[in-house]
This record gives sequence, C-alpha cells and structure tokens, in this order.
Amino acid sequence: MLTILLLIPFLGALVISVLPSDESGRNRSLALLTLAVQCVVSFALLIPFQASETGQQLVDSVPWLPVVGLDFSLGVDGLSLPLVLMNAVLCLVAALASRSVENRSRLYFSLILVISGAVNGAFLAQNLLLFFIFYELELIPLWLLIAIWGGANRAYASTKFLIITAVSGVLILGAFLGIALVTGTADFGVSPILAGQMSLVTQLVLMGALLIGFGIKIPLFPFHTWLPDAHTEASTPVSVLLAGVLLKLGTYGLLRFCLGLFPEAWSYAAPWLAGWAAISVLYGSLAAIAQTDMKRMVAYSSVGHMGYVLLAAAAATPMAIMGALFQMVSHGLISAVLFLAVGVVYERTGTRDLNVLRGLLNPQRGLPLTGTLMIIGVMASAGIPGMAGFISEFLIFKGSFEPFPLATLLSMIGSGLTAVYFLLLVNRAFFGRLATASGGTPNPSILSKVSFGQQIPGLSMSVLILILGLAPHLLVGLSQAATTQLSELAALVPSGGLA
Amino acid sequence: MPLTSALTLPLQTAWLIPLYGLAGMLVSLPWAFGWFRRDAHKPPAYLNILLTLIAVVHGSLVLRDVMLTGPALIQVPWLSVADLDLEISFSLSLTNVSALELITGLSLLSQIYSLGYMDKEWALARFFALLGFFEGAMSGVVLSDSLFQSYFLLEMLTLSTYLLVGFWYAQPLVVTAARDAFLTKRVGDVLLLMSVVAVTAWSGVTSFEDLYTWSAQKTLLPLSATLLGLGLIAGPTGKCAQFPMHLWLDEAMEGPNPASILRNSVVVTCGAIVLLKVMPLLQNAPVTLVVLQVIGVISAIGGSLVSIAQVDIKRTLSYSTTAYLGLVFIAISLQVPVLALLLLYAHAVSKALLSMSVGGVIASTNCQDITELGGLASRMPATTGSFLIGGAGLVGLLPLGGFLCLAQAVELIGARGVIFVPVFLATNVLTALNLTRVFRQVFLGQSLAKTRRAAEVNWLMALPMVALSVIVLLTPLLLIRLESLDGLLAFPWWAAALVVISGMVGLLVGALIPLNKAWSRSLNPLLRWCQDLFENDFYTERFYRVTIVNVVASFARLAGWFDRNVVDGILHGLARFSLQSAEGLKLSISGQTQSYVLTVIAAIVILLSSLSWILN
Repeated sequence: MLTILLLIPFLGALVISVLPSDESGRNRSLALLTLAVQCVVSFALLIPFQASETGQQLVDSVPWLPVVGLDFSLGVDGLSLPLVLMNAVLCLVAALASRSVENRSRLYFSLILVISGAVNGAFLAQNLLLFFIFYELELIPLWLLIAIWGGANRAYASTKFLIITAVSGVLILGAFLGIALVTGTADFGVSPILAGQMSLVTQLVLMGALLIGFGIKIPLFPFHTWLPDAHTEASTPVSVLLAGVLLKLGTYGLLRFCLGLFPEAWSYAAPWLAGWAAISVLYGSLAAIAQTDMKRMVAYSSVGHMGYVLLAAAAATPMAIMGALFQMVSHGLISAVLFLAVGVVYERTGTRDLNVLRGLLNPQRGLPLTGTLMIIGVMASAGIPGMAGFISEFLIFKGSFEPFPLATLLSMIGSGLTAVYFLLLVNRAFFGRLATASGGTPNPSILSKVSFGQQIPGLSMSVLILILGLAPHLLVGLSQAATTQLSELAALVPSGGLA
Repeated sequence: MPLTSALTLPLQTAWLIPLYGLAGMLVSLPWAFGWFRRDAHKPPAYLNILLTLIAVVHGSLVLRDVMLTGPALIQVPWLSVADLDLEISFSLSLTNVSALELITGLSLLSQIYSLGYMDKEWALARFFALLGFFEGAMSGVVLSDSLFQSYFLLEMLTLSTYLLVGFWYAQPLVVTAARDAFLTKRVGDVLLLMSVVAVTAWSGVTSFEDLYTWSAQKTLLPLSATLLGLGLIAGPTGKCAQFPMHLWLDEAMEGPNPASILRNSVVVTCGAIVLLKVMPLLQNAPVTLVVLQVIGVISAIGGSLVSIAQVDIKRTLSYSTTAYLGLVFIAISLQVPVLALLLLYAHAVSKALLSMSVGGVIASTNCQDITELGGLASRMPATTGSFLIGGAGLVGLLPLGGFLCLAQAVELIGARGVIFVPVFLATNVLTALNLTRVFRQVFLGQSLAKTRRAAEVNWLMALPMVALSVIVLLTPLLLIRLESLDGLLAFPWWAAALVVISGMVGLLVGALIPLNKAWSRSLNPLLRWCQDLFENDFYTERFYRVTIVNVVASFARLAGWFDRNVVDGILHGLARFSLQSAEGLKLSISGQTQSYVLTVIAAIVILLSSLSWILN
C-alpha cells in the first residue's frame, strides 16, 4: 500500500521526463494529475489507519540488500502520517503555483515529483539506510530547482545549500554507520533498544552527529545561513516546498532518530537543547526584524519557528511532542501562504524590498486579496488564536513550561517578536499609499489584476490553517498515540543522566 | 458545575450569541471581496445589523431567564491533549450577561450609526465584517468561563482592533496607529499568555472556578505568585489602555469613529471584566494589588491631566477613558467588584454617547481641532444635547450614572483606603473641567469658518444618539434593576456632597478659564511647560522610542550584522580555506603511486582509530 506512494510520483517523473516535446502546459497538467492522485491516495491512508494504535502500520517490507542491512521497509504511524499528508498537499500547491515555468518544464516538473516521492520515502522509511537514501535523494533535485530556475544570485545560494546540506547528510550517514559499528549488527531497523547497549558517551557522540546533521536541515542557529539565501533565490513553488516539506525532514529526524533512538542521551542533553532552542528562536526573530527583503524575513521567521520544535523535543512531554508535530504541520501551511503571497507581490511589482513597496492593499491598482492572505498568514504565524499557529505554540509552551520554564518564557518573547517583524512587513508593504516615484511615474508600475485561479493555492492553505486552528482535534486525534509513545521513551529513562 | 438539564431554550442556546457577530462577518465577506458587483454596499450592513439585533434580543431573553432562575453554565469539550482538557465554556451569570447586553446593545447602536457616518465609504462591507468579528469576540470574552478561552478571545479582539484601526490603511497616521495598537496589546497579551501557560501547567485546569479552588488550596512561592499575577494583569492593562500601555487608545482615534465608540466604551469594559475574573487568583500576590493601584492612580490622574491639554476633539475623550478605567482598576484592586461594574456600565454608555456626539461634529465639519470649532449648539441640537447628556452621565454632578458611582465610590473606597478618595474626586474635577472646556470650545461661542455651514447629522446617526441619550438618562433605573447591584443609593449624604462639590468645581473652573482660539499655548513659561507636558502625554511615546523600541531595533541590527559577518564570515572563511588548501596541495602532487597509497592508508588508520577511540 505505502509503496504506491513512492511509485506514483516516481512514475510520474519518469513519464514526464521521457516525453518527446517540452510543452509547459501539458507537463504541468501531468504533474498536477500525478500529484492529485498522490494526494487522494495519501488521504485514503486515513481509512485503514488506526489512530489509537501505536507502532508502525500498513508495513511493506522486502529485504533489499541484506548484506549491508538495507531493507525496503515502509510503515506509517501518527508521527509520519500528518507529514505525508502535508507533503501531498504542499507538492500539489507548489505545482499549482508553478504557472510561469517556460524553459525546461519537463525537468522542472519531474524534479518536483522526485522530491515529492523522496520525501514520502523519507517519512515512511523504517530502515535507517533507506531513510538516508531518500533524505539524500531529495537534495539534488532541490539544488537543480534553485540553480536553474532561481534568482540572480542562484549560483551562490544553490552551491551553499548543496555543500552545507551535504555535510548534514555525511553526519547522518556517519551516525547511522556508527550505530552499526558499535552494536556490531548490520540491522538498520529503527529501534531504540540498540542504544541501550551503548555507553552514554557513545550515545552522545552519535546523537550529537545526528543532531547537528538534522540541525543543519531544520535549520537551527548557527547552521541556518543557507536557508535565507536559498529562499531568496528559489522561485515561489520551490520556497513552498523547501519551507513546508524539506525543513520538516530535519525536525522529523530530530524526533524520530535523535529522541527516538537515543532517549537516554537525549534526556541528558535536554537542558542544553532547550537553551539552544531559545537562542535559535530569539536570534531568528531578531534577525528577521533587521531584514528588508520580504522573503528573507519569512525565511528567518522559519529559523525562529523551528526553534520551537527543538524546545518541544527537548521537553519531550506528551503535550510538547504533540505541539512539535502540530507546529511542523502548521508551519508548513503558514509558510506556504506567506511564500505564495510574497511570490505574487514579487511577480507583480518586481521587488520584495520593504523600503520600496507601499500600499499594496489598494483596491484598484494593488493586490487586495494577496494582502488579505498575507495578513492571515502573518497573524497565524504570530500565534493569533483561531489559526493553526496558536494551537501549536500553546501546546509547545504549555508542554515545555514545567521542564524548562526559562527557555519557554524566552521562546514566548520570540513569539511576541514575530508579531513585530510581520507587522512591519504588512504595514510597510500593504498599508500606506501605493508607492509613486518622483516625477509621477508609478512605482511599481500599474499592477494588473491577479487572476482568482492564481490565488486558489493561498486561499485553500488559509482555509486549512483556519480549520486546524478551530478544530485541532482533527490532527491531535490522528497523532496523539504516536506522540505519547515517543514521549514515554524519554520518560522511561531514569533521571539523573550520567549514571 | 454540571450542566443543569432544566435550562430554558434561550439559556441552552446562549452559546449562539457570540456566533451571531462572527456569522455577520462571514456573510459580509462576499461583498467585502467584491464578488457582488451590484450595490456592493448596504446588504452586508443590514445583515450585520439584523444579526446584532437578534443577539440583543436573544441576550435579553437570557438576561430575563438568568434573573428568574439564577446563573447557568454551558460547556462543550473542544480539545483534549495529554493531561489537558480544553472546553468551550460560557458562564451565564448576571454580571456576564448584563455586560453582554451592554456590548451587543452598544454594538447595535453604533452599527446603525455607522450606516450614517460611513455612508459614502467604499469598503462598507469590510467595515461591517470587522465590526461583526469585533462584536463576536467581545461577546465571547465577557461570557467566557475559562482563562484559556478568555485569552483566546482577547487575542482575537487584538486582531480585530488592529484591522479596524487600520481600516483606512492608506493614511500614514493610521499605519502607525494600527501598528502601535497591535503591538501594545500584544505585549500585554504575551505576558498574559506566559501566565496562562504557567497557571495551566501548575494547576492542570483552565476554568475560572477550578482555578479559584486551586489558588485557594495551593500556595505558590511569593515570587512565582507575584510574577504570575503581574502577567495576568498585563493583558487587561493593555486592553483597558492603562499606564504604561495606554498610548494605543489615543492613536487608535485615527480609525473610523463608529469603531472608536466601541473601543472607548466596551472594549475597555471587556478588559476590565477579564481582570475581575482573574482577581481571585491574585490573592496570594499582594504586590500585584499594589501594582494595580499604582497603575490605576497614575492612569486616573495622568489621563485626566493629559486630556485637558488636548486640542483634538477625539483625543480629549480617549484620555478620559484611560482615566475612568484607572478608577475601575482601583476599585477592582480594593476588592469592590460591584463598584467596578457600576463604573464600567455608567462609563460605557456615557462615553459611547459622547463619542457619537463627537463623531457627529467631525462628520458635519470634517474638523477635529477644537480651536477651529465653535458655535455648533444652535446648528446641531441633537449632537449638542448628546454631548451634554453624555457628559452629565459621566461626571458626578447630576443624579445620573456617574454621580451614583462616584458617591458609592467615595463611601466604599473610603472604607478601604482613604488615600484613593482624592483620586476619585480629582478625576471628577478634571473630567468636568475637560468636558466643560470642550463644550465651550466646540458648541458655544461664535461660528467659525469651518462651522458656519455645519448642519445637523442625518437621521441614521441621530437615531442612535437619541436612543442612547435616553438610555443614559435612565441609567440609574437600569442599574437599580440589576439585582446584584442592590443598595445603589446606600451612600451617606457627605459622600454625595463631596462628589457634587468636586463636579461643581470642575464645571466652574472649566466655565471660567479663558479659552483663546488664537493661541492655545499659554504665555506663562511654567504653565506652557505644563501644557506641553500634558499635551505630549508626559513624553511617554518619546520615552518608549528611545528605550524599548530602540533596544529591540539595536538587537535586531546586531543579529543581522552578526549573521552577515560572523556566521556567514566563518562559513566563507572555511570555504576559502578549503579552496586555497586545494590550490596548495595541487603543487605537492608528485606523481608517485606509492606516496598516494601511503597517504590514503595513513588517513584510513587515523580515521578508524579515532572513531574506535571515541565510540568505545
């Protein structure tokens, strides 16, 4: 069953790439069709999925290369299912938003499909090596997407992205091989029992490698500088994928492999991780205030908002882990709205500079609907109740407060700072009078209307944000068994750390 | 408290009342987005007014039933995560439901008023959508029976205030006003959220009743209790525009006037009601109560002083809102909730009427500067009458709401802390002075250039003014009808005398001080210094600019600089280093296979031995 989720996008990619002519509209329709089918199949998983059960369900397992311990083993649980669903939705949104791809559209849409399949594979993989393969598989397509269809400075940004995330891959592979080396087995099944046989120092070294590896991907301060550059140069759909789906591989890895495989070392390091999270949150938020490029601002906000996930993972209470998962999903949806809105602004005005843009809410020549979506996204990101961001922040803060009160309070200041920079963004770009350069020439030039179709992705994401904000039990019910189980792993560890 | 099965239909469906407002927002959206081309103007306004009318009627049925059968509680489970159960819960107590009626009633009147005031506004649908959202959030806040839900709705209120203040987003002053309104309240809200998180983490419950029980049983460390208390009062302090978070209300006057009516009357009431609800949690934190009193005194006196130096007609009112809510804060901190409620009701209706009257002046003169206004009394009788009645209802002089409240206050407050009595009386003096001064400037005297052609407001604006005038005149009767507010007239004669004398003094001073249209600043340097001080709100805004705003901006610049130069600098350094070392190593190529093999073997040995050393 789960294998289909890999086959659909990969087959779609194959079909598109071998098509004889490079016709943009047809390629896009094919990709959309593939992704729509993938979306339907992903949501169909909800039917057989038993939310109340812990452990992996719907397992597909075939020995692949037993010599190196590689099994083709897929499974889904409450932790991965929401992320698979989000991947399906956001990839569809990204393809919908890819309206202006004219050159090499075969390559473009195949790459999007490959990413979608690889991300599915990484979320579903039940074998460390298999996870690693999918984790790396998504790297090159994304590099190409930035390097070919990116902005002016794309060479620098894509290379930076490639090198730094490759380091992340090396660290993760090193840690996985280290596990095999220490335990002496070539079994790469995901099982926390393995770590029990290791000394705490060994665990800390291996977990540290994973932590930095995933910390680069998430990204956490100080490994984050690739992200603003990558976002700034990437086109809108690629930014949606990058922020919405690919960063989540890092946070998923953090929960599944750092916390899940090394609960003892994790508990030992938790206070430091909470401190790291608070620094990351505050640093990301403050750096975001200093930005004048809308996209960079949103990118830095991701650094801050992913810091909450580290905080929650460090606390590892049932509520915090639930909050972390909720944050992954809501951040995916919210950053999609924000990037889509920024994308429309950039496409229409040719700039993202907050010193230039003014008054875009103007009903005649401006972008009123885009502005509305931007305000929804911004408010959701700032944690205004009624929207998904608030639920995740509240769960994370409430779940983390008892173990780490100070780090939690500092992170809440970060949540206040989110309001500061995003309000600056809305006030500068959307409020005020539509900018006009001296001499009477309008700057930006008179804007053409944005078609309603172009707004459908943003609108639907906004609706999802509201639905999850008002009916959070939809997601909580799906995942609570799994997140509770994960937090119990950490709770089983006898307190006292270095024993 | 379990849900009693014998609830009447209005009580059982009381949860609908906040939804009427929100439904009003939803039905307005198609027009707001311009999906209907024909007459995209009035239908959403009518729909909203209809829904608010339903809310008022439903609310009054609930009020009747609550008076007959006593309070009730409605609870619906909402979200259950780990050990936390969150519920949507509405407490239908007399206090809450009468506050609800106040909100929906004033909302109805100001929506009708908006039809007249915003007649030519192109985005009327958006305005009404926001008003509906605003009303729904406020109704929810006052009915809320859980701290979490109160926070939830207060934040929605913050959002809707931001959108309403920013309604005319193209004007530069509106941009800063909306931003400041949001951020100031947000500071209070984040502090409140910290307390909500802390208190739910410690107690595991969120409903007020459970929290009261918890707080009575459990004694926190004094420091924790104090910090918790300060966080809990921060939210209401921001909402009620109290010192030091008062600037936004004044700036928010840049927004459309009908929203200002609600902001000055019922939004601040919502904040105070939340404060009333969290009061029992502050019992273990005496410091918090002192802080509340200090805030109240500074806001009352400071707000009154600042208001008498304003020349913008709307700003003369907004600072007096801060002042009256300061009195409410004092009453709450001294544990006289009855008095606080009386003050809130009396203030809300009177201030709403004053705001409507001022809106009428602005609508027909397009001028807000009182030195440019004059002689409107003969031209705008209804507006003038509304101002007089509103002022009379607010000031303690005639036997209306303000007088009853202040007379009660002198007695009740006097029994608990005599030092606060002068604060109440001084606020009364200064408010009377201010209103008299404004009345003379705007309505009396000769017509000026901007007022010569002024005409009375249209009937859509006059109707709510007249209706509210009647309500203000009937306030004493309404207050007496509220059962819990029994003994309204139980104050001694000397208290009444003190209040009347203070009101009289204010009135006389206000009537006698020289008012000069040509130069509003005094020639006396000391007086001028005072005037400037008050006019600029004790330079609070400038103080914030050089302190908080500056600090955050500096840290932000530092983070930005650090990111570009240090973090990226190290990264670029590493990259350059590897490139240069590669260049260097290029020269060391010898071409001898043995040396390559040796290098590779040495590297593998070093790698493996270091790995096994680390891992074992």
